[in-house]
Amino acid sequence: MTRFTIPLAVLRSEWIKLHTARSTYIALIAAFVLGLGTGLLDVLSVTGHWATMSAADRADFDPVGDPLSGFQLGELALGALGVLAVSTEYATGMIRSTLIATPRRAVVYTAKALILGLFALLASELCAFAAFFVGQLVLRRQHLDVSVTAPHVLRAITFAGLYMAVVTMVGFGLGALIRHTAGAMAAMFALVFLTYPAARAFEGSSYLPDHLTLADAATALATIAPPTGPHAQRIPSFGFACFDLVLYLVAFLGLGAARALRDA
Amino acid sequence: MTKRFGGTTVVDDLSFRIEPGRVTGFLGPNGAGKSTTMRMILGLDTPAAGRALIGGRPYRALDKPLRLVGALLEAGAVHPGRRARDHLAWLAASNALPAARVGELLERTGLSAVAGKRVGGFSLGMRQRLGIAAALLGDPPILLFDEPVNGLDPEGVLWIRTLMKSMAAEGRAVLVSSHLMSEMALTADHVIVIGRGRLIADTGMRQFIESAGPGASLEEAYLRMTAQAVDYSTDAAAIRTQTRGPGR
Repeated sequence: MTRFTIPLAVLRSEWIKLHTARSTYIALIAAFVLGLGTGLLDVLSVTGHWATMSAADRADFDPVGDPLSGFQLGELALGALGVLAVSTEYATGMIRSTLIATPRRAVVYTAKALILGLFALLASELCAFAAFFVGQLVLRRQHLDVSVTAPHVLRAITFAGLYMAVVTMVGFGLGALIRHTAGAMAAMFALVFLTYPAARAFEGSSYLPDHLTLADAATALATIAPPTGPHAQRIPSFGFACFDLVLYLVAFLGLGAARALRDA
Repeated sequence: MTKRFGGTTVVDDLSFRIEPGRVTGFLGPNGAGKSTTMRMILGLDTPAAGRALIGGRPYRALDKPLRLVGALLEAGAVHPGRRARDHLAWLAASNALPAARVGELLERTGLSAVAGKRVGGFSLGMRQRLGIAAALLGDPPILLFDEPVNGLDPEGVLWIRTLMKSMAAEGRAVLVSSHLMSEMALTADHVIVIGRGRLIADTGMRQFIESAGPGASLEEAYLRMTAQAVDYSTDAAAIRTQTRGPGR
C-alpha cells in the first residue's frame, strides 16, 4: 500500500476511456490532415516553381523541414486532444465516477498521462514519418528528395514527432490545471502561438526568450539545415531545443498534477 | 465527521453507523449536508475532522473499491459522448472486474437495447438505470444511493424501490438519501435524519413515526423533528432567511 504502483487495471481503464471518446478520433484525423496536408502543399509548391525560384529561395529549401512544415498545425489538434482527455472528465462530472473507482488521485493522474503520452507519441511519430515519406515521393520528381539515412534526417523526423507528443502533454497538463475545456484550449493556443511574437519583443536585449518558445524549438528540431538569414540567432541549438521539450513536459505535467491531486 | 466550506460548517460532528441487511433512509432538508456526507464517505471530499470508515478502512485506502461499495451520485457523472456499454467497460476494467459483468448489468437494468447508444441522448430514467448498473458492477455488499428516484416516472420509482429492498434482503447495507417522505416510508427500515449538518435522529422507521404520536405519518414525524433545522422558516409576520453558504 505504501509503494507507488500503477495497476494494469487502471491503465486498461484509461485506454478504454481514450479510445471510446469520439473527440480522440476527430483530433487524430485533424492532426493527420493538417500535418500531412500542409507539408504536401508545401512540397508541391516547391516542385512546381523550382525552375523559376531564385538561388536564395533554392538555398532556403529543406527537403526534410518542408515536408514536415505541417506539424506546427497538427500539433494544435493533438494539443486539443490532450486538453480534452482530462478537461471533459471535470466538465461532465465523470471525474467523480473515476475517483470512486480509483480513489488514489496520483494513480489516476499518472495512468492517464502514461496512456495519453504513449498514444500521442505513436500517433505523432506515425504522422511525422508519413509526412516525410509522402514529401519525398513528390520531391523525387525534381530529384530534390533526400534519403532517410542521410545525416540528421532520422533525427529531424523523430524529434518532430516527439515535439508533437510533448505539445499533447502540455495540453493535458493545462487541462488538468484549468479543468475548463475552453479556458485550457485558449491557454494552449496562446502558449504555442502567442509566445513566439511576445519573445521577439525582447530580441533587442536577449535571444533567450526566443530560445524558450515552442515555435522556435520546433524549427530547431525538425530540420537538417542550420538556420540562415538575419534571424538565425532566434533559433536555439538542437541541444537547447531538447532542453525546451523536457522543460515544458516537466513544468506542465507538474502544474496539472498539483491541481489534480486535490479534491475533485 | 465535520466538513466546512470556507467558514460555513456544512456537516457538524456527525456520527452514525450503517448496518447490513436493511435499507437506511438518509433524510434531511435541502442543504442539510446529505450529499456532502456521502461524498466524504466516498473519499471525494476530505472531512475537516473525523473520518468515514468502510469495514474499518477509509475509502481512499481501498484497493478495488467497486467490489465493496457501489454508489449512485446524481445522474451526471457520465461523459455524454460515450456509449453506455463503454462507460461500464472502463469502470469494470479499472477494478479488474470481468468484462462479462457489463453485459449482465445492462441486461439487469433493462439497457441492453440501448447499450450502443451515446449517453447524451438518454432520458433521466435511463441515466439513472445506467448509474445503478455502474453501482452494481462489482456486486458490492454496501450501496449508497443519493436521491435515486428524483425525476423518475412511477415505473422507475417502483423498480428502484424493489431493487433496494431486494439488495437489503440479500444482506447488503443500503444507504439512500431522499426528501420524498412517502417514498422513504415505503422503502426504508431505518432512518438517519440530519439538519444543519447535525444528527437529529438515528432510529428504526416505526419508532421514528410513532414518536410523532398515534396515527402520524413519516412526513409529520420528519417535519416535527426538523422544524428547528430548516434553512428558512415561514413565519406569519415575515420570512426569515438564515445566512448560510451554499450546500453541495
